[in-house]
Parts: sequence; structure tokens; C-alpha cells
Amino acid sequence: MPEQTIKSRPVYSPLQLDPGGRRHLLVADGEGVAERGLAPGTAAADFDERWTIVSHSRAIPSPDEGVSEHGFRSLPHLLAALRRRLGDERMGFRLYAVGAEPFLWTINALAGELGLGGAEIHLCAVGPQARRVFCNHCRTITEGVTTNVVTCAGCNASLFVRDHFSKRLNAFAGVQVDAESPGEIPDIEELYA
Amino acid sequence: MIRSEPLAIRVGAIESLSPTLRRVWLESADSGLLPASQPGAHISLTLRGEHGRHHNSYSIVSACDDRAAYQVIVRRTAQSRGGSRFIHEALKVGDVLQASTPNSQFPLQPRARKHVLIGGGVGITPLLSFVRELRGRDAHVEFHQFAQDAEIPVFERLLEPFGGHGLHVHPGREAFDLGALLDVQPLGTHLYCCGPPTLMETAQATAVALGWPSTTLHSESFAPAGGEPFVVRLGRSGGEVAVGEHESMLEALENAGLPVASLCRGGACGECLTVVLDGIPDHRDHVLSDAEKAEGRLVMPCVSRAKTPCLTLDL
Amino acid sequence: MSIAFKSDESFREPFRYSNSDEAILRFPFPFAEDSYMYSVNIEPHVRGGPTGAFQAAFDVDEHYVAECRERAMVLRQDPSRCMVLPHMVPAQWDTLELIMESLAEDYPDQFTLERQGETWTWTNRPLGLRDRFTFGDLRSLPREPFEYVTRQAQGDFTIQDQREGNLFMDGGMVTTQADWSLEFDLGMSFHEWHGPVPVAHELGVFDRALQYLMRIQYGKPVRRLNWTMTVNPRLDTSPENYPVWGPDRTTVTPGNVGDALHLRVELQTLFRLPRSNAILFGIRAYLASIAELARVPKWGRRLHRVLRDLHPELAAYKGLVRYRDAAVGYLAAFDDGAPTGAGIAPDTARLRAAA
Repeated sequence: MPEQTIKSRPVYSPLQLDPGGRRHLLVADGEGVAERGLAPGTAAADFDERWTIVSHSRAIPSPDEGVSEHGFRSLPHLLAALRRRLGDERMGFRLYAVGAEPFLWTINALAGELGLGGAEIHLCAVGPQARRVFCNHCRTITEGVTTNVVTCAGCNASLFVRDHFSKRLNAFAGVQVDAESPGEIPDIEELYA
Repeated sequence: MIRSEPLAIRVGAIESLSPTLRRVWLESADSGLLPASQPGAHISLTLRGEHGRHHNSYSIVSACDDRAAYQVIVRRTAQSRGGSRFIHEALKVGDVLQASTPNSQFPLQPRARKHVLIGGGVGITPLLSFVRELRGRDAHVEFHQFAQDAEIPVFERLLEPFGGHGLHVHPGREAFDLGALLDVQPLGTHLYCCGPPTLMETAQATAVALGWPSTTLHSESFAPAGGEPFVVRLGRSGGEVAVGEHESMLEALENAGLPVASLCRGGACGECLTVVLDGIPDHRDHVLSDAEKAEGRLVMPCVSRAKTPCLTLDL
Repeated sequence: MSIAFKSDESFREPFRYSNSDEAILRFPFPFAEDSYMYSVNIEPHVRGGPTGAFQAAFDVDEHYVAECRERAMVLRQDPSRCMVLPHMVPAQWDTLELIMESLAEDYPDQFTLERQGETWTWTNRPLGLRDRFTFGDLRSLPREPFEYVTRQAQGDFTIQDQREGNLFMDGGMVTTQADWSLEFDLGMSFHEWHGPVPVAHELGVFDRALQYLMRIQYGKPVRRLNWTMTVNPRLDTSPENYPVWGPDRTTVTPGNVGDALHLRVELQTLFRLPRSNAILFGIRAYLASIAELARVPKWGRRLHRVLRDLHPELAAYKGLVRYRDAAVGYLAAFDDGAPTGAGIAPDTARLRAAA
């Protein structure tokens, strides 16, 4: 679980069912992922429905009412179904997501667009801690960053990877590390594996 | 806008809507433009009553952009401490009053995808300002007003300018299935409620039971202050002020000549925050945190009272 | 009241900027004591204060024309320096109304607002603009209302949406900032966009500030001062352009520090907006070189002491590390150890001669 170093770095808690809600949907970005994000005493079966990205092409969600497990081929495949589901849902609904940090904030953005507020969305980060890095200078997002300094995929600046995180952009800020003394780059460390 | 208080207001027109409801148009006394109002705003008028001057707050029903005059609708209450009785019996066109800048503790939620409004009786007043603003923004609004039979035509007439779609007046609450209404609202709906305490408590409880988060529930209370009499001791001057059962602590202090700053007079804005030196406050406000209330060293005299016979304030 | 606008100024290479004697005396010097630490330090924003910078709702000074031109240049180079989320349209109109009414009231010789119902005619003499539009109708203005009006005001602006017991920075015009990114921070809650500020979180400054700001009432705006330092009179010290201006920090020497190093003071104002219930946050930036400020004896002494004794984490966060020693060395000549008066006012009507 990532630590909070500054206030704009999200912190996560293992998920429990929100007792105020009436219908609960749990989404996860891989098989076996959901369980790693649940609090002791909370089981995946406690949620009315579970949607999982299973990453193979034959996966297909069930068309029947009342089925609680659904598999999706990929993130876009799941998002299309989630958009429709949230559009049809009523007040009293709660959405839960478990997976890598970028997955969570993609889900969060869709949920916010469809009217859910902070109290109706619950997120828990598990898995790889690689970061998406937004270059403050050219706006390119560099994916899968595990080091403290990374070369921007857009403008080639050596970017220091900050802990300042934007939920809207779903990325950490990257600022040129050697603007004042060109070429002076700190030692590269693997921090976010 | 930087406004030095108070506004000088002149009564432009008065209309009798029913035996207990009056609509009053309030213009700027210098015939200039008033500040734009806020949705859900109330204005505090300084009025003459039996026991001296009162400050009563009334919701503005007119549009924010109508800066020539604010419209308020005042219910004549049986247990009026003077304010509403003065408006119904003594206020005349041309009278000049002092008023506060409009202030809203009941704002619209800009990101809501739908707004459901529930009103009871004169609680329709802040909701009328919502309907105006929301129609102007082409927002999705549904309004349910509960009224006694005799007042149904009055409220229908007040709602008529906004077009009928989504706006309903119901005869009393008993036959209406509030649970069914709240059960089918889409994600992103916010609920706004204004009316008698039982209506608001029921609406809130029903919504919570159906899983609405508290951040989607908004209400404005018109409940009058009142309770057991007690004494306020003034920690600095050593004097005492008696607070009667039908007046608020704030009114008692004001009538005793002590100028405690105030604004919303409804326990929501924090303006009248006062330090408690001794005694146990009876908190009825919406500003202090649970920890602050438990600690008992601060109080909002506009709505709160005392649990002990005497409360010593740092005044 | 007439203002002698210095229309030929430049806030980028090649720099052309200075403050007249009057501008120095009306400068919002931020230090009321000889040492500095964060505090909430908010007071009512009334017309009037310790120096001339506090006299209007939105201060217009001799740099107005040049600053508006600089803003237009920044936006041509990068339009994303003004962004507003879609749900903030009512707040945009609220902002336009507030700024136009305030400028017309405070500077009637420069700005006029005429209203016939919803038809408004706005005249801005210093910029040579006259526009007629329908209030509330987006298509009747050449740009969205927030961008339209903030292009005609000095300083940055953000609009905060108040919801869920918090404030969210959901719009902004940010072209003169001290190193924070509008695009990155857009949509953040109060504690999130203040995340990178050191020390203050532990002091509870932001918790108290948030509670206070959420209770700001319509008609009762508040203000506070913030400060940092900039090398050269550069207004666009954005993170976006840090590769361009960052190297400036290495060009300060003991020989040029007096003229090159500028104190950058933000007069921050906060207004509750009526229709949207949002909060308009004005960040009005003032620049003066430390040589200019040292012409006020009280300020020369005090600035020396503040910089000399500043908490190292604050110095690092404010980007002062490279030139702090040079600045302290320069200012030492103006500090004879005499006591300084309380408050920020210059306590003199006459400046020392310029060096």
C-alpha cells in the first residue's frame, strides 16, 4: 500500500461494504485482485456484483438478471458496460474498485462524470506501483514509470517524478530536474516497482 | 462587491396572497440597483415589534438577476414575537427599513445532475428561488410542494410562471409516497427540503434509508427558536440578561443593548460565535464540530440555548 | 483619478520594468514583523489598508496596461493557462459581474459599465475596449465570461466550487503564478492543491483556513498577503515554462542582486459569488526589486532580518536557496540594527535616493 508523503498523494484503505448503500458493485483489474483489496472479514461474495477484467477474448459478461460474476476482456470493454450501468442506476448505489492506481482513477473519472460523489466511490490500490507521469512542460504522459527520474516521452526533458498527484489527469507531476543546472541529474533509483 | 451593512430598503409593493401569506417587494431606498441575490438566500430585516426591534430573516423568492427589487413571502405566525405580525398589520408601501445583504446557507449544487425539491407550506419560499435559477440554467428539476387545501391555489399560482413540467402541489403529505419518489432518482440527484421539522426529518430519514449519502441532502430550517428560560451572565461586565422561552439568546442580548455580531441568525454561518466561560450550552447550530460542542467553550446564541439555568458568556 | 500607465514595460526578455516612487510607497510589503512564519493571517477586505495597494476591490496600478498585454502574450503561447470546468458557468458570470462593477466603481475615469436590463455595455479606456453583450448569454461575448473579464484585470484568479464540505479549484486564469500549474491542479480539493507546501500542514493552517473560507459571506470579502522572490521582473514563472526561466536563478551575483532580485507579493482576495455560491480567489502579484524596497528605511532593515532568519524548509520551498546569501549580503548594508515599527506601512512619505 503506498504511503502518503504529501497531502495530494492519495491514501487507500482495504475495502469494506458501505453499510449506508443498498446495491454494491465491485470492479477489479485482474483475476485474484479483488480479494487483495478487501478488509479482514469482508469477502468478494458480500458484494451484489463483481466485474473482473480477465484479459482474454472469449470472456463475455452474462446477459441474465441476477448473475453476480461478470468477466470482461479489457479495461475499455469494462468501461463501456460501466458507463451504461451507471447511467441506469439509482441513488443508493455504491461502486468499489480494486487494482493498480491508474485503473482506480480511470474508474473514478467515469463515476464522477455519471454523477457519483466521493461518498459513493471506494478505491483500494493493489499491485504494481508504476506511475503515470504528466510532464508539466509539454503535457505528455509517460506510462509505467518506476524510477525517481524519467525521460519525458514527449519533449525529452529529464523529469523528477513528484508525489503531487492529479486525480483528474490520473498522473503524478513531472518537472525538469536539471533546468537550473543542465546535465546535473540525481542518481536513478527504482522506487515504484 | 464590498458592501458595508446595512442596506436601506423601501417597501415597493405589498400583495396579500392568503389570510396568512403576504408578498412584499423590497426596493433600494435610493432607487438604485440592489446587489444580485443568491439562490436560497434570505434577507434579515430590522422590524419594530412589541418588545423593541427584531431582526427576522425571510427567504428571497425572486430571481438573482432581478436587482430592482427583492420579493419575500411572509407567513403570519400565531406565536409571532412581533416580526411577522408587524409585516402583516403595520408595514406600508413607502416604509424604509434596514436590511442585511442577502445571504444563503442553502445553496444550489452546481454538479448535481438532477435537483429534487420538497417543500411544505411557507418552506416553498427558498425553493421558488431555486426553480427560477434552475429553469434559467436548463437544469433537471422536480418539485413537490405539500400544502393545506386552502393554500393549494396560492402555490400553484406562484409556480405557474415556471411551466408545469415537473412541478407538483399535493394536498397534504399523508397520501404521498416519499419513499417511492426517492427510490427512483438517478445517480447524481441532490435533494433540497424546506418546511416543517417533521417533513424535513421524514424526508432525510427516508433518503438515508434508501442509501442517499448525506452530501446529497440539503435542508433549510424555519423552526423558531424557543425553550426553557435561562439567564446569561456577562463575564466581562458582570451584568445578567434573562432569556425568555419565546426568544433566542441573541434576541435577548440585542434587546438588552449588547451588540453581538450576527448574520444568518439560523446557526449556519458562524458569525455570532461567542466564548462560553461557565455553564453548559445546548447546541442547536450546524457550525461547531462534535468536538467543539462537547468541549462546550463556544456557542451560537442565534439558535442555541443552555442546559444549565445560567450560562456565562465572554461579553 | 488618473493613472500614468507605463505601457512599454516588458516582463520577459528583454526586461523593462521599474516602479515609480509612488508605486514603491503603495507596495503591499508583506512583513509586519522582523521574522516570518506561515499563519492564516486573513482580514476583511475593505476599501483601505496600510498602503495604497489596499484601496480598491481589485487594484489597478501603473503597470495595468503592460500586464494585460503580457497576459495576452502568455495565452497566445499557451491557451491552457485559462481553463474552467463545464459546471462553473454561473461562477463565470458572477466573476464578470463582480470585476466589472468593482472596476467601474473604483476607477470611474478608466472603466464604465452601463446596463439596460440584460444588455450591458462595458468600456475599458486604458485598453481601448468597448463591448456590448447580453448578461447570461455566452454567445454574446467574444470569449467565455471568465476569460473575457480576467484578461482585463491584474493578477491571477481561480474559482472554487464549494461542495461536499470542501472547496475544489474548478477554474482559473493563471499567467503570473509563483510556480504552480493550473492544468495539473485543476479539480483538486483544498488540501490537495496545497499538498506541496511544507510545514504548514503540520501547523493545522490549512484545516483552519478551509473552515474559514467555507464560511465567507457574500458582500464580506477577505484578504491576506503571501510572498516569494523572483529573479528579474518576470511574471510568468509557471512550472510549464520552468525550463525557460529556471536558469535565471543561477544568474544572480552579489553585484547585480539589488536590481535583479525582486520581492513578489501576492495580495490574495476571496469573494463569495452570488449565483454559483463559489469563491473567487484573486491573486494579485506585485513586483519590486530589493533595491527599490530598500529605499524605504524600515523595509530595508526588515527584509534583511526576515531573509537572514528564514526557516530553511520555507526558503527551499520558495526557491530562494541559490541567491539567499547574496540577498542577505546586499541588504545588510541597509540594516543598522535599529528597531522597526510594527505593521507593514512604510512609515515615511519620502524614499532614499535611488542607487
